Amino acid sequence: MSDYILELNNITKNFPGVKALDNANFKLKKKSIHALLGENGAGKSTLIKIITGVYNQNEGKLFLNNQEKSFSSPNEAMNAGISVVHQERNLIRRFSVGENLMLTNLPKNNLGLIDYNTVAKESKKWLDIMELDIDPNTIVSDLTVAKMQLCEIAKALSLESKILLLDEPTSSLSPQDTKNLFALLKRLVAEQNVSIVFVSHKLEEVFEICDEVTVLRDGKNACESEQITNLNRQKLVKLMIGRDEQIIKSKKDIDFTDENLLDLQSINTDLGHKNINLNLKKGEILGLYGLVGAGRTELIKCVLGLDKINSGQILLNNKEIKIKSPKDALEKYKIGYISEDRKKEGLILMHDVLSNAGITVWSNLKKILSFLNDNIVYNKVDPYVKQLEVKTPSYQQIVSNLSGGNQQKISVAKWLASGTDILFIDEPTVGIDIKTKSYLHELIIELSLKGTSIILITSDMPEMISLADRIITMKDFKVVGETINNHSYEEMSSSIMSNIHE
Amino acid sequence: MNNKIPNFVKTNQFGLLILVIVFICIFSFSTDGFTSRFNIYALSRVVALDIMIGLAMMVVILTGGLNLSLGALGVSAAMFGGWCMESMGIPISITIILVLAFGSFLGWINGFVTVRTGVHSFIVTLATMSIYFGFMTLLTEAEAFRKLPEAFTNFGSLKLFNKYISPLLIISVLTCFVLYYIFKYTDIGRKLIAAGANPDAAELSGISVDRMFIYCHMLSGFLAALAGIMLTARIGAAIPSMAGHLGFDWLLPAFLAPVLGGTLLSGGKVTVFGTMLGAILVTLINNGLYLIDVGEFWVRFFLGIILLGAVLLDRAREYFTVKNSIVS
Repeated sequence: MSDYILELNNITKNFPGVKALDNANFKLKKKSIHALLGENGAGKSTLIKIITGVYNQNEGKLFLNNQEKSFSSPNEAMNAGISVVHQERNLIRRFSVGENLMLTNLPKNNLGLIDYNTVAKESKKWLDIMELDIDPNTIVSDLTVAKMQLCEIAKALSLESKILLLDEPTSSLSPQDTKNLFALLKRLVAEQNVSIVFVSHKLEEVFEICDEVTVLRDGKNACESEQITNLNRQKLVKLMIGRDEQIIKSKKDIDFTDENLLDLQSINTDLGHKNINLNLKKGEILGLYGLVGAGRTELIKCVLGLDKINSGQILLNNKEIKIKSPKDALEKYKIGYISEDRKKEGLILMHDVLSNAGITVWSNLKKILSFLNDNIVYNKVDPYVKQLEVKTPSYQQIVSNLSGGNQQKISVAKWLASGTDILFIDEPTVGIDIKTKSYLHELIIELSLKGTSIILITSDMPEMISLADRIITMKDFKVVGETINNHSYEEMSSSIMSNIHE
Repeated sequence: MNNKIPNFVKTNQFGLLILVIVFICIFSFSTDGFTSRFNIYALSRVVALDIMIGLAMMVVILTGGLNLSLGALGVSAAMFGGWCMESMGIPISITIILVLAFGSFLGWINGFVTVRTGVHSFIVTLATMSIYFGFMTLLTEAEAFRKLPEAFTNFGSLKLFNKYISPLLIISVLTCFVLYYIFKYTDIGRKLIAAGANPDAAELSGISVDRMFIYCHMLSGFLAALAGIMLTARIGAAIPSMAGHLGFDWLLPAFLAPVLGGTLLSGGKVTVFGTMLGAILVTLINNGLYLIDVGEFWVRFFLGIILLGAVLLDRAREYFTVKNSIVS
């Protein structure tokens, strides 16, 4: 008898042309929190899909409680006690919390109708176990993002799951919510006999709550069930990317007494921004920090003319401008926006690499009678796509078939090609592997050194502190603080957090 | 994988081409007169119109919307043309320009209302269908224009290529090439497709999505008006009921051609030549079934079944063949 609840031995999974997993092992101890790490494309998601019955392995065996199993559908895995909590929410937003929790097994009364009292009572039981103060009758869409995440976990528990797979559970949570989540996870492991597989790109979190680590690289084990106490951040990164991590710091002397390039003066918006004042110098990276819902992305969208500005002025080189649309921003004022949501707003997933990378430059490239062919676009965007090292079989590849990191590179490349003076960059590295992440960081710094002025929105504190020259903190659609970044993590993070919690 | 198979074979158009050939074979052997000069000429006149109205629908489907007012709009434009020529004595060439401008204007109304209200074009064009047709009936008092210039009606009954082909078909095929060119080789065409595929991303990339959607509706109106002129030339008169009540007769082929052709109902993909092949297939089936003499109701029954099948195909296509090129 081993004390593993889940054991995968020598798993190999082939896809046409690719070996996604090559003799990979994964062993999950009972009552432990086990980190599964790896770059995008290392085989993490394939492994998870094998555990949850979405794929079947070509070779290798899967043991659950020492019994060999093979799941032919996610449903079978779920019935065997394995639940996944995905990055994307799996709750029905217009249903109540109770209905969502009990969805697969809604209690019925004598007439065969749903018994809402029992729904509330049963679901309350699970919410209580998690010490969640949520009324089961609340409609899901009224909850905060953090609470939705917790409800997902409650739903998994209600299915009597003994193994929880959490895929990037903190990507949209504030530091405080993350703390609460971790406390809860520790308690679940201790009290409910649950074992947890934790997938995250944030290594700080791994060190905070995980007991053991398995790292995949190119489908193979870079390490297997290593005790977290034997590792440090550098070692872990080396395991993941196969080389040492380069620490990037922006080293620049910005003269903050310079003239403002872009100046927002007492902006009030339709969305609820109150008296926003901020300015951007030439070549500066101005960070906008805040929790989810602080109104940062919304502010940028108002500046781009997508939502209404009710009062206040926008000055560009000390001249008042009125931006009516993103088209206006791009063509008249050379301002671009890299969206945080690359799948919905950044890219046209069903179109190919060339038309995604070229979309911002079509207008400039068109010849007489609006003539434009692929070759003209290719000549313009190719240097940028090459510079960003986008990995794609060809320019005709459909973007949805590329990895997240490569997709993000394309949504950056199209703005590089457009040659804007000012770039708004919104959460550039969400869900991106370390290699691409540090690559994008270098790129952002390089851009600013070449004179592009950047407003950077990120919820990733280390990212903010390594990139920004100056950090503006926002809360509840207001600016609550401004600090010149000295790149010291401890000082800056405490200064920012005190701004937020004042 | 499968690198040895040329890409064209994997496309939807290739499947359609095979189907077209299969149906031609079936009808040639099973009916008398399918390959006769008379029948082929008649087919070419019908297919010309089906292609045009298929294209008119296609350019709105591109936006993820649809244009139910297509038939009413086309007939209204044609009646306007009849009035210009018969009552006002305006020369043919100028009339055609006026009619196309008028059609584009009606299309502009569709687009403008859709974009400004944010209501789905289904509702908007359902309303304008009734408005255009009602207005046209009111103004013309449901009377036809039958005394059109001879040069105009003669063109409609001209026979080319050893008397096999109507010049109308040549207009439609030329239109296909022009549209293909626009979508493949112009800045504006690319923007139309991008706006249709993902309006949010297109807007944030500096494309005026509203304007693009209005252009699509205008283009739809333009093509529907062109179809109206062609129909007028074909029957030698402008008749209010020539596309059925409210222009309904046009709707089935209008949907069938692009959907069979591989245009995605959710928008963002056009298949100009697919639509052409789709229209040919529809016309063939229509014509063949009449020749087999199965009766009017069965023809409608089959076309309905084909449309349902094509829509199922559309769903499947969203999963599998989005991988093909965007303009084809």
